[in-house]
Amino acid sequence: MSKRKSLIKIKPKKYKDGEIVKVSFMVMHPMETGMRKDKKTKKIIPAKYINSVKFDYNGKVITTMNVWESLSTNPVFTTYMKVNGAGKLSVTYSDSTGEVHEKSTKIKPKG
Amino acid sequence: MQRRDFFKQLGAVATIAAISPAISFAAEAKGPKSPNALSYKAAVDAITGKKGATESSKVKLKVPEIAENGAVVPVTVEVESPMTDSDYVKAIHILATKNANTRCIDVYLTPANGKAMFATRIKLGDTQDVAAVVELSDGTFLTASQNVKVTIGGCG
Repeated sequence: MSKRKSLIKIKPKKYKDGEIVKVSFMVMHPMETGMRKDKKTKKIIPAKYINSVKFDYNGKVITTMNVWESLSTNPVFTTYMKVNGAGKLSVTYSDSTGEVHEKSTKIKPKG
Repeated sequence: MQRRDFFKQLGAVATIAAISPAISFAAEAKGPKSPNALSYKAAVDAITGKKGATESSKVKLKVPEIAENGAVVPVTVEVESPMTDSDYVKAIHILATKNANTRCIDVYLTPANGKAMFATRIKLGDTQDVAAVVELSDGTFLTASQNVKVTIGGCG
């Protein structure tokens, strides 16, 4: 299992408790549909796409997603979140080949 | 037979002859079938439980009118909603009407989101409509759609 690069971005960078912030999760993933052919070998490239994504904030599920192959390569998932005290935001995804990946950041509201 | 009728029939035969090889060629060129293939109508029926969704200006779908590259088309869906415990957006579904698998993503939101918005990037195989179906907490379904012209397809 390869380690994938992923990133959680929160905008704005400085936020207060109770503020609504923009959260985007990016991951380097091929998102193969299983319908494409390799131009050299003329063989079908097997499908490998993200199945589900889950946003967890302090152990509470905020957002879940069912994903299909129509999403772009290296997908981005952007949504909003209400800051509710300091803690941890973790994003988990699993793909069609059974790969599971988790990324987390600390939530530190100021003021 | 009158001369007029004769030309009508001749024209009909000619168009059939011209179309039929095109149809068979298109079927061959498609290649392997998607295991998750689903038509737009079947997908909407599955999401709404055959209730159907009503068009609404509350749902704001932001998609470029002309996408040069079909492999990366940014999509933003925003819904006017207070996002309180009693009134919030339950789910946002993004559909591409002519892709082999219409469904792109289903997003299930909670009041903890604070704002009903979702953005991502999708692949479009051809010029088609992109639609968003939104489920509210009271069980109603709203929809919005927009046509996107794709210069280079993003699949295959």
